[in-house]
Amino acid sequence: MRTEPFQVRGRFLTAIAIRIDVESPDESFYAALDEKIKTAANLLIGAPVLLDLAAVPGLVSRDLLHNVIRAIRSKGLLLFGVQNANPQQKALAEELGLIQVLIGRDTPLQQPTRAAPPRRQRLVEPPENKIIRRHVRSGQMVVAERGDLTIVGSVSSGAEVVASGNIHIYGTLRGRAMAGATGDASARIFCSKLEAELLAISGLFKTSETIDSDLRGCNVQAFLEDETLCIERFV
Amino acid sequence: MTQLKDKDPLGKVIVITSGKGGVGKTTSAAAIAAALAKRGHKTVVIDFDVGLRNLDMIMGCERRVVFDFINVIQGEARLKQALIKDKRLDTLSILPTSQTRDKDALTQDGVEKVLNELKEQFDYIICDSPAGIERGAQLAMYFADEAVVVTNPEVSSVRDSDRVLGLLASKTKRAEDEGTEVKAQVLLTRHDQRRVDAGEMMTIDDVLEILAVPLLGVVPESPAVLRASNVGMPIVLDEPSEASRAYEAAVARLLGEEVDMSMSKEKKPGFFSRLFGAPA
Ligand SMILES: Nc1ncnc2c1ncn2[C@@H]1O[C@H](COP(=O)(O)OP(=O)(O)OP(=O)(O)O)[C@@H](O)[C@H]1O
Ligand SMILES: [Mg+2]
Repeated sequence: MRTEPFQVRGRFLTAIAIRIDVESPDESFYAALDEKIKTAANLLIGAPVLLDLAAVPGLVSRDLLHNVIRAIRSKGLLLFGVQNANPQQKALAEELGLIQVLIGRDTPLQQPTRAAPPRRQRLVEPPENKIIRRHVRSGQMVVAERGDLTIVGSVSSGAEVVASGNIHIYGTLRGRAMAGATGDASARIFCSKLEAELLAISGLFKTSETIDSDLRGCNVQAFLEDETLCIERFV
Repeated sequence: MTQLKDKDPLGKVIVITSGKGGVGKTTSAAAIAAALAKRGHKTVVIDFDVGLRNLDMIMGCERRVVFDFINVIQGEARLKQALIKDKRLDTLSILPTSQTRDKDALTQDGVEKVLNELKEQFDYIICDSPAGIERGAQLAMYFADEAVVVTNPEVSSVRDSDRVLGLLASKTKRAEDEGTEVKAQVLLTRHDQRRVDAGEMMTIDDVLEILAVPLLGVVPESPAVLRASNVGMPIVLDEPSEASRAYEAAVARLLGEEVDMSMSKEKKPGFFSRLFGAPA
């Protein structure tokens, strides 16, 4: 699967995007947010959520933006990233641990090192796998935007690891792991010991509450089968 | 003045940090500094907690503060004028902080200059960090060679210590300039075996499994700590107690000596397995 010279495009996690349409969110904004969460609780609670800033390039006040983020989080939504953020917004969002999610990014295409069949040439980019040889601590986040992520160490509660490909954790996973983050439904998560807060593959996820408690503490792999996130022990 | 005067001082900077507040950083900084000084090492302990000024009270020298760390950084006093010599140990000095100045008075360049000057005179420079992970705490750890992460055996303290360990691995001069990590060890304080047995506190093993750094020592919850701090006495200079022995052992380990962890091993199920066994 990983040898295919293209990536599945389109869906970017099955995350919920909340698009902000007012540059200075005020009480009426928060009231509307409350209302929305009440009426769409099933959809929103527990789902990975993105903040879309496309409509508000001028929302660059630290207080305003941080308040929005904190407010959304305080409602129990799992806000993990921003999209269409300008550099200032990106920096502010990162302060609260949000990642910049790149949808339809205009990356300059690299020349393939070897001549590839012309039909495929424009899509070839070598993967950039990442290996991290330390623990990922609470509050830290590691992202492999174009490839697999291998952690030789543990991932703490409150830490996040994200990869467009597979995630391998040679240690305990206590935090969150999101594989196939750009839509690759064949991506898998492997870990030596499962204590995760959240496992997600291509947008489908399970949280500590929905992970079978028998699997706790086991070495497992997680993968998608028939649109369901499955977790299995190694035997 | 001391038996070490012929040698160049070691100049090692050790930060006492935690993330969470009130876990025993200042108590530990005072105890560790005093225990090092008792062994003949020239030691200074610096208060980085601008605006609170607890260290000089625990060290019993609050009435002798004239100039402070901030005055030195701002060029209003010389280091020599601000350093307070301990009356009990001539190898021990205190660099107090200001209670009135703003936290922003601490600058990275200023801190570096003072630390460099201290390194020429002292073997150990113990930095008592403020709580949190903001600027003050980051400045206290930035120039450290080693770190003692003070942790209480409870979930929020362990979580904060984990965050601090992440900062130590990335936001220090060592990490930024040399790509090396500050050596970090965990000092578990306020450990109460009865509460561990009752399942109200995490076991030592649980804490170490999460933090994954060496254990420097385990200091029991002890009324002797409060008693000593009320009379301005670092616990290791007070009458021997379980807590003072624990700090002495921790300092021996800090110096690389092998000292047995004489804590009774717990055989109960871990805090987490119990936690997860119960409905959320
Ligand atoms: N081993 C112990 N047994 C009993 N009490 C202790 C122990 N260690 C610390 N304490 C008490 O806990 C309180 C907080 O300690 P301390 O001031 O050293 O913490 P701190 O981490 O420096 O706090 P801050 O974050 O406010 O700077 C004090 O009242 C102290 O006496
Ligand atoms: Mg303190």
